[in-house]
Amino acid sequence: MAGLFRRVYDWLLRTFWATEMDVTMIGLQNAGKTSLLRVLSGGEFAIDSIPTVGFNMKRVQRGHVTLKCWDLGGQPRFRPMWERYCRNVNAIVFIVDIADLNQLPMAREELHLLMSQPTLEGIPLLVLGNKSDLPNKLTVDELIDAMDLKNIAHREVSCYGISAKEETNLEAVLQWLMKFANR
Amino acid sequence: MSYGKKDEDADSGLVKIDRTQVFQEARLFNSSPIQPRRCRVLLTKIALLLYTGEKFPTTEATTLFFGISKLFQNKDVGLRQMVHLVIKELASSAEDIIMVTSTIMKDTGGSTDSIYRPNAIRALCRIIDATTVQSIERVMKTAIVDKNPSVSSSALVSSYHLLPIARDVVKRWQSETQEAAASTKSSGGFSLGFSSSSGNLPVNNSTMTQYHAIGLLYQMRMHDRMALVKMVQQFGAAGAMKNPAAIVMLVRLAAQLAEEDPQLRKPMMQLLDGWLRHKSEMVNFEAAKAICDMRDVTDDEVTQAVHVLQLFLSSPRAVTKFAALRILHTIASFKPHVVNVCNPDIELLISNSNRSIATFAITTLLKTGNEASVDRLMKQISGFMSEITDEFKITIVEAIRTLCLKFPSKQAGMLQFLSGILRDEGGYEFKRAVVESMFDLIKFVPDSKEEALAHLCEFIEDCEFTKLAVRILHLLGVEGPKTSQPTKYIRYIYNRVVLENAIVRAAAVTALAKFGVGQKDPEVKRSVDVLLTRCLDDVDDEVRDRAALNLRLMHEEDELAARFVKNDNMFALPFFEHQLVMYVTSDDKSAFETPFDISKIPVVTREQADAEDRTKKLTATIPSLKPPKVGPTKTAPSSADAAASASAAAQKYAQELMQIPEMNEFGSVLKSSPPVELTEAETEYVVSVVKHIFKEHIVLQYEIKNTLPATILENVSVMATPSDEEELEEVFIIQAETLQTDVPGKVYVAFRKVNGGSSLPVCTFSNVLKFTSKEIDPTTNEPEEGGYEDEYEVSDFDLSGSDYVIPTFASNFAHVWEQVGAQPQAEEAEETLQLSGMKSIPEATEQLAKTLSLQPLEGTDVPVNQTTHTLKLLGKTVNGGRVVANVRMAYSSKTGVTTKITVRSEEEGVAALVVASVA
Repeated sequence: MAGLFRRVYDWLLRTFWATEMDVTMIGLQNAGKTSLLRVLSGGEFAIDSIPTVGFNMKRVQRGHVTLKCWDLGGQPRFRPMWERYCRNVNAIVFIVDIADLNQLPMAREELHLLMSQPTLEGIPLLVLGNKSDLPNKLTVDELIDAMDLKNIAHREVSCYGISAKEETNLEAVLQWLMKFANR
Repeated sequence: MSYGKKDEDADSGLVKIDRTQVFQEARLFNSSPIQPRRCRVLLTKIALLLYTGEKFPTTEATTLFFGISKLFQNKDVGLRQMVHLVIKELASSAEDIIMVTSTIMKDTGGSTDSIYRPNAIRALCRIIDATTVQSIERVMKTAIVDKNPSVSSSALVSSYHLLPIARDVVKRWQSETQEAAASTKSSGGFSLGFSSSSGNLPVNNSTMTQYHAIGLLYQMRMHDRMALVKMVQQFGAAGAMKNPAAIVMLVRLAAQLAEEDPQLRKPMMQLLDGWLRHKSEMVNFEAAKAICDMRDVTDDEVTQAVHVLQLFLSSPRAVTKFAALRILHTIASFKPHVVNVCNPDIELLISNSNRSIATFAITTLLKTGNEASVDRLMKQISGFMSEITDEFKITIVEAIRTLCLKFPSKQAGMLQFLSGILRDEGGYEFKRAVVESMFDLIKFVPDSKEEALAHLCEFIEDCEFTKLAVRILHLLGVEGPKTSQPTKYIRYIYNRVVLENAIVRAAAVTALAKFGVGQKDPEVKRSVDVLLTRCLDDVDDEVRDRAALNLRLMHEEDELAARFVKNDNMFALPFFEHQLVMYVTSDDKSAFETPFDISKIPVVTREQADAEDRTKKLTATIPSLKPPKVGPTKTAPSSADAAASASAAAQKYAQELMQIPEMNEFGSVLKSSPPVELTEAETEYVVSVVKHIFKEHIVLQYEIKNTLPATILENVSVMATPSDEEELEEVFIIQAETLQTDVPGKVYVAFRKVNGGSSLPVCTFSNVLKFTSKEIDPTTNEPEEGGYEDEYEVSDFDLSGSDYVIPTFASNFAHVWEQVGAQPQAEEAEETLQLSGMKSIPEATEQLAKTLSLQPLEGTDVPVNQTTHTLKLLGKTVNGGRVVANVRMAYSSKTGVTTKITVRSEEEGVAALVVASVA
């Protein structure tokens, strides 16, 4: 009986107070964007996913909030298009492969380039260090330094270490995103 | 308003939609949450703009495109479908379209029967580029074999479009396509039958998928003949295909295969024959058309088709009748006797209320009918001539014209008819067709000359078309003086001088002068003199000038005047025009330092021009419009095309040769032979040769095509060795520097006639190709260094007597025959030949005229009798001597065609040479 009541309440919430928010997920290729999105939307983790050509779009339902997640391709040819998809979104999620140290400088450069765009001013940024299950990874503090996050101003910036494979810390990510739902 | 102009033919009920306004509204796409209904309306507006020809500039299109990409994955299926539709249209103008690949791919897959799947597949194939085709391979493969025909069709058609972009990838989908073609599914959609919600695909029982699959299979296997044959046989079997359109495709394919490979002709004919009895009309017609378009089709084969078409003639549907009749009309152009059996049925149609059917019925009957029926038909046509449009009138006039040329004996009745309709109302095009027919009668049927001229004279008395009046006056000037009573025409012409406008007056003066110049009768000469003197007072400059010039000429010696006024030679006009245009439009200033040199323009005699003209007109009734074939096929040019293009080809050769400085001193080309194939069409190197005859030289032009992929030939030359080296001496070879794959190149080999300009050397050439072969490195696309020398031997060919002969026309054969025989140098040669390879008299007639390179006279190119025939031929050698041939043929099914060829020539040795070119 309680379950039924709960479902009716959820349905009411969805119908009358439903909010949609846009979230863009970017990052270099092979950072784990598509895998993360799959896990977030309740799917199974797949070890071999094909590189995203263009973008994917998925909805993640949390209570009365629908997160529309735009998962953009990370290959160099798609990077110029990031800015266009980040305009007017509620939050930008930047995903970094913290086990691949060689790619870090490139990731930092792309992130700072994007953040300097005037059109994206004030949009909250969440940097995620993915693949924390692998050995030889950076800690969150090291990542903050490596990405030079302290120098990103005029917006709310957070940084988490996660693992899409082992589903660690994902709840925190969603909680963080939900904060911006009503703006 | 930018839309204003296009609005003219748009429906007034349509909402006015402005591009800029729609672009402003497009901000709606970015709003959150999405409002599906409003977005759909907006997308419809964009689609409307795109479909009515509006173009969005690249920046706007890109903005729109990214806006629309926000709408993806919406729950509203209608919106999803619309999104794909618009993306597909925007794909060509927006940038960065590759972005949506992954998202669209999601909509294509799955086993759902969502309505947007076909749209997604189509959009996907539009946005994909060559490098990413591979990533959609799996999606496409599953879509092709999807159980839903709509999905399968869309995937097949999209693959068709992808083929040119990524041939190799798409070719891997053959087995799936094959499966799609073979499946006779009719949608598994019965369970969905009552789910009326818009989200699902509607039930689709169409078998169109088969058509699409066959089309795609053909594109994939285009270059593999064996595979095509297998495909035609597999799917051509009874019951294998349900879709008539797919079978029509197979019919065309079968016809094409039979055309290309004589070996396949028999099995393909059998298939075509079977299709004649297919239950779909569409297939029947296509098969009948294919059979009658087949090269050297026999009477038996056509009879089958005619029989089927005959049944359709009594169909209640107008369109069926029309289609059947149109094909019969085509057949009647070259096999009138076969269509004879349908005459009773066709006669019923001449009074059909549908004028298109009636016109075709009559023109068909004109071709098939015997002499008696022609008169009756003429009467029938006269009955409704006034009711049909000019266009159909012209068709009828053309049919009658050909008839006149074929049956000169019927000219009187036809002339009567032509003059009758000339008096009727009608536009310029129609009147022109009639007048031209009469011109042809005058030119080619001497008996009709006087009467036709009289009719024309009458016509110009009341002619509203200045152009026609001028042409008729010119003709009167040319033909009038040769008639028995020239004075009769002088009166008509002078009437024009008195009554018409300046242009006609000027023409009339020139025509008048032709009666005066060289006139033997002093009385007539005096009258013309008086009339022309009166013209000196004309108000128009041109008229006065012409009168003065001609008066002066009349008082000159006859010979000089005749050269001016009655010259029968004329410049080769197409070539002349081209040279003038080249001169006038030249960019190089130095070109204008020397005046245009008219002496370089080749001169043709009137007889030659007439000969060409007549062939063209006779063959023009055989429709040169082939039905559209699938894919780029190399259709063998029909005889009509060949005749029409022969002179064009000669001019083209002449121009090409003029470009080569070494050959300038040779003078102009006297004769160019048609190309002779020296290899099979499938060999590594395809070679053909054209023989050009100059006054003192002979140039062999080899056309070489390298068909080996990834190789390049350098320094290509041909070792051409004449069998008789005493008569021909090699002067030079112009090599082809490089030959890339499938790019034809030319090699010229020039020989000098050792015994001077008038000799006609005859010999056999053996030919060896010499070249350096280099492979192309696939990684760099550069040819390798060095390469290796190679030789390649091709077939021999003959330089024969007929290469020196040009077809010429004359109206009276017996006269020429006697004239040539009476010449002092004349020579006669005779040969009896058994042509076992020829299967009929018409075939032999055509072949002989072509091989001998002579012009058939007196309508003998159209055999009347199927067992015996006499072919009368005339030509001129490059030196100007006439060559006449009389060929008698007899046909029996056992021995083929037996011919006796008698050739007379004005020059020594020519007759024997010409005969030898057949033997």
